[in-house]
Amino acid sequence: MDKIKIKVNGNEIEVSPGKTVLQVLKDMGIHVPVLCHYEPLMPQGSCRLCVVEDRGVLKTACTTPVEPNMDIKTDTPNVINSRKLVLQLLFSERNHYCMYCEVTGECELQDLGYEFGLDHFEFPTYERRFPVDNSHEFIMMDHNRCVLCRRCVRACSEVAGHFVLGEMERGIDTMIIADMDVPLGNSSCTSCGLCAQVCPTGAIIDKRSSYLGREVQSEIIYANCDMCPVGCGMEIYKKKGANFIVKIYGDWNSDVSRGLLCKTGRYLSLYDAKERVVGIKLKDEFGYRRLHEDNLINIFKSKLDNAIAYVDGSLFNEEIEMIKEIFKDKVYSLYPNESPIPTNIKLSELDDKEFYVVINADLNREYGAVGSIVKRNVIGKKAKLMVIDKEFNSLAKIADYVFNIKDLNLALDILKKQKEVIIIYKDINEEEKSTLNSLNNAKFLYLPKETNSIGLQKYGIKHEKAKAENVFVFGKNLEGIKDLPLQNSFVVVFTPYEDEILRRADVIVGTTNGFEREGTFYNLEGKILKKEKVLRPDFDVLDLKSFLSNVLGKTEKVS
Amino acid sequence: MGKIKVASIWCEGCSGCHMSFLDMDERLVELINKGLEINATPITDLKIPDEETDIGIIEGAVATDHHEEEVKMMRERCKIIVALGDCAVFGGIPTMRNYFSKEELLERGYITTESTVDGKIPTSKEIGKHLPKTKAVNEVIKVDLYIPGCPPSADAIYYVLKEVLEGRIPKLEGELLKYE
Repeated sequence: MDKIKIKVNGNEIEVSPGKTVLQVLKDMGIHVPVLCHYEPLMPQGSCRLCVVEDRGVLKTACTTPVEPNMDIKTDTPNVINSRKLVLQLLFSERNHYCMYCEVTGECELQDLGYEFGLDHFEFPTYERRFPVDNSHEFIMMDHNRCVLCRRCVRACSEVAGHFVLGEMERGIDTMIIADMDVPLGNSSCTSCGLCAQVCPTGAIIDKRSSYLGREVQSEIIYANCDMCPVGCGMEIYKKKGANFIVKIYGDWNSDVSRGLLCKTGRYLSLYDAKERVVGIKLKDEFGYRRLHEDNLINIFKSKLDNAIAYVDGSLFNEEIEMIKEIFKDKVYSLYPNESPIPTNIKLSELDDKEFYVVINADLNREYGAVGSIVKRNVIGKKAKLMVIDKEFNSLAKIADYVFNIKDLNLALDILKKQKEVIIIYKDINEEEKSTLNSLNNAKFLYLPKETNSIGLQKYGIKHEKAKAENVFVFGKNLEGIKDLPLQNSFVVVFTPYEDEILRRADVIVGTTNGFEREGTFYNLEGKILKKEKVLRPDFDVLDLKSFLSNVLGKTEKVS
Repeated sequence: MGKIKVASIWCEGCSGCHMSFLDMDERLVELINKGLEINATPITDLKIPDEETDIGIIEGAVATDHHEEEVKMMRERCKIIVALGDCAVFGGIPTMRNYFSKEELLERGYITTESTVDGKIPTSKEIGKHLPKTKAVNEVIKVDLYIPGCPPSADAIYYVLKEVLEGRIPKLEGELLKYE
């Protein structure tokens, strides 16, 4: 399209049509204060701090598209005074007194106050008392701090797809509400926490990160979440000089999740309270006694004849490779990991489709980022949704069609008539697989059970029950040990968590977990993602990766 | 250069701002050498400012009828009124009580406090009576200069006094302008 000519502060420039005035000014390096505007969300123009003058008229830069013959001025007294007045009104409408607010120091409203040299309130304040909603497990809403920018409402709907937050009443009586004005803790909120991430003030805060430190006191580490096979991009704030994580944000630049995170990645990964296996323990006639790592290497090496290894999908690629190097082809998976129908769609292509089918997965409770993508298209863009399940699925209430998996054939009649259907599924049997395979208008996204199931597939590790004199088990989920033929075998288990089943083991080795370990894994679309080491372990635990390279005699440096 | 007379009072505040004033240390001597004359202040323990005072500094919010009288007297007697610290500028921490009734406030303060045994709400006529609402100073009198901060830094106070002594209108910016 032809470029159009506009004037900015007296200089004539050429810009491409379709851009907003704010984008043009930003490209030119002209600073425009904003509050309700947030790059990944649709502009709304409600705070009116970004006003600029066009031929004598004040316009919001964030929502005004450029048009020919515009004469934009960004620093006239009219513009500056209008912005100052708006800021004064924002500060006086509710309680924006910094001394009793959690976010002071990284508040966007406070920053604007400093930018405009606001040194007192021109209007009386503190006239009204608004409620504080502390009903939610992870998030607190303090309406006294709210500037009604609706970033949370837009993030909850446009990005996270949950459509929980909304607003009621008008003008200064406007309140941000959850569902039909119920406490957030009782609402349909899935605890993805995106609202707290985008809130510019202290109106929505993450309870756990409160008072742990400011962003300037943190180092930011970018990594992928390894709590499930989606592998969302994380922005991890680790307190400088300390061994704890302040908070986790979704990484807007991640090509996997583009800002999304779910309850599991943002909160549960930090709330882990399971009992850990500490040290290395060898069973003898008196019980278990502690071993040194050097002794473990000797025992490990002495038991390698007639040995097999079992692994689960919590292992990283580097660990799997070394286990394969040690045990050759005698490595088996504790759980089945084949994809019944291989995935042939990327997460980045999942948006803007017309028909989604979700089979056997409640995406409000698991694979949250995939759930968000489906929900924002179904609720926000009116795509069709079919839910097929054998039990209750909370997605059913927004679905156009709901089928029991037994009636898959009936569902198929509808699916055949569609132009294209996106099938997101897990746990299907052979018969269901062949039924679904008969569709020629379908794209499939398989939801593996374990984080690195796809990695196990790629390394050719199959689920089998083999027998051997010495059995080595590596992994987090030990449920599968129960089904193994372990009679008279010498059993060595490398695991982070205590478990009843560990009493069967002859050697128990506590390993690093969560943010204490690093490595790569394949996510559900087959992308290699990296988990970074963020924390130093608080316990006497062994890093599996460095132990295995010691066994192999590799001189790998491990921090 | 003639003397510039300074008076200060301390309303509903914690004295932190006056501490910050003293925290100017040797720069106080510099200001005094430049003509600053410290008149009635909590530091000199004189309560009533001279009638022809140049700068009146007010710490703390206006919470009682006594505070109201005091700040009004300051306005009458001082040419320039400086609101010092968050309580004087915005109302500050003391405005938290605006969320409760006067009765609830006194009950909590004098009777139901965990460490209080047989508490009694004081009734002496010499004690100021709470206003319906704790207010920032500029809701009661006209204020000329504001130094927010809790407390404001000694640097900010020094900068403002120096600018006034040298006949300029100070404008707090950057590190000197803090709300916390």
